[in-house]
Amino acid sequence: MKKPELDRRDFIKGAVVGGAAAAGAIAPVDIAQAEPAVATQATAPQAAGYEFLNLDEAAFIEALVDHMIPADDISPKGTDLGVNIYIDRALAGSWGKGDRLYTHGPWKLGAPSQGYQLPLTPAQLYRAGVDATNAHCHKTYGQSFDCIEAAQREEVLVGLSGGKIKFDNGLPVRTFWTTLYQTVVEGMYSDPIYGGNRNKAGWAIIGFPGVIAVHATMSQATAASRSRTSRLASRT
Amino acid sequence: MTTKLKWVDVVIVGLGWTGGILAKELTEAGMKVVALERGGMRTSENDYSLPNIRDELRYVVRHDLMQNTARDTLTVRNNPQQEALPMRRLGSFLPGEVVGGSGVHWSGHTWRWTDMEFKIRSNYEERYGKKFLPDDMTI
Repeated sequence: MKKPELDRRDFIKGAVVGGAAAAGAIAPVDIAQAEPAVATQATAPQAAGYEFLNLDEAAFIEALVDHMIPADDISPKGTDLGVNIYIDRALAGSWGKGDRLYTHGPWKLGAPSQGYQLPLTPAQLYRAGVDATNAHCHKTYGQSFDCIEAAQREEVLVGLSGGKIKFDNGLPVRTFWTTLYQTVVEGMYSDPIYGGNRNKAGWAIIGFPGVIAVHATMSQATAASRSRTSRLASRT
Repeated sequence: MTTKLKWVDVVIVGLGWTGGILAKELTEAGMKVVALERGGMRTSENDYSLPNIRDELRYVVRHDLMQNTARDTLTVRNNPQQEALPMRRLGSFLPGEVVGGSGVHWSGHTWRWTDMEFKIRSNYEERYGKKFLPDDMTI
């Protein structure tokens, strides 16, 4: 009698057999056969969805990065570069959670030269800042940042960068702006493994071909004695 | 509780450029040397090989080879009137960790030398004369 469901043992057995068959199959594959698979992979859709951003924040960030990085003869627009994805992953990840940030008192704002002093992780700062910016937009233009005109967005961003806008929730505007600006730049120029700089289009703007990859071997001495076979990293 | 370790001739605190060279010289002179360093275990093949070590976001921006200020930091004030506050992230100076010290912290900043750097003595002599650099200066 056939069991209605695969049990755990069957699954593991199947996985081992399947794994062995797959391993056997990989060896004889030549480059000509492998090429179509690579091409398929390259055209596979990008991972969609956000880990950290909620719907309002996602709309804000998408509008922000497309305004700051418009599609033109220099680069694709921000969302096509994946800058929104970079920001989402950065906020969801260890940096956003305050990794390496000293989070004990005393809590005082201090002088600007004493650096960041808010009791907020970068993700909390971002959330509060996006909320406060949208509140400003509602008050001033009657709509959230993603719904206002390009000229109004420009006015908001200039207001944030120059500290002309004051947030009702008391968040220091310059601190939020600095973090916002920094993450947009990072999403444009950091390694594509972090979700931005898609297809190395950010690096293409500045004429940077990518990072050289070399074979890592078991010791430095061995590595040095090997011929320096190097290639450009083909990360995308 | 105090742990008494075996007696050695020399203990070097910090195994970077300076500590590393000292350790080499002292052990070659026959001394028993122990070097102390903090931070996790890092290896050339896993941590310092290309392309990973050229990850500017991870190393230059987020200080992955530097001391973790979440665990241990300093308080700073710029003049006696200010109240000293914790340095919540590293900024104006970057105290690092792991064996190798600055030799590994530069994280891709050790660029190839430019043509000018191989001709510094010649350039100085050409501009300021042969006597400008003392004989015992090694550039």
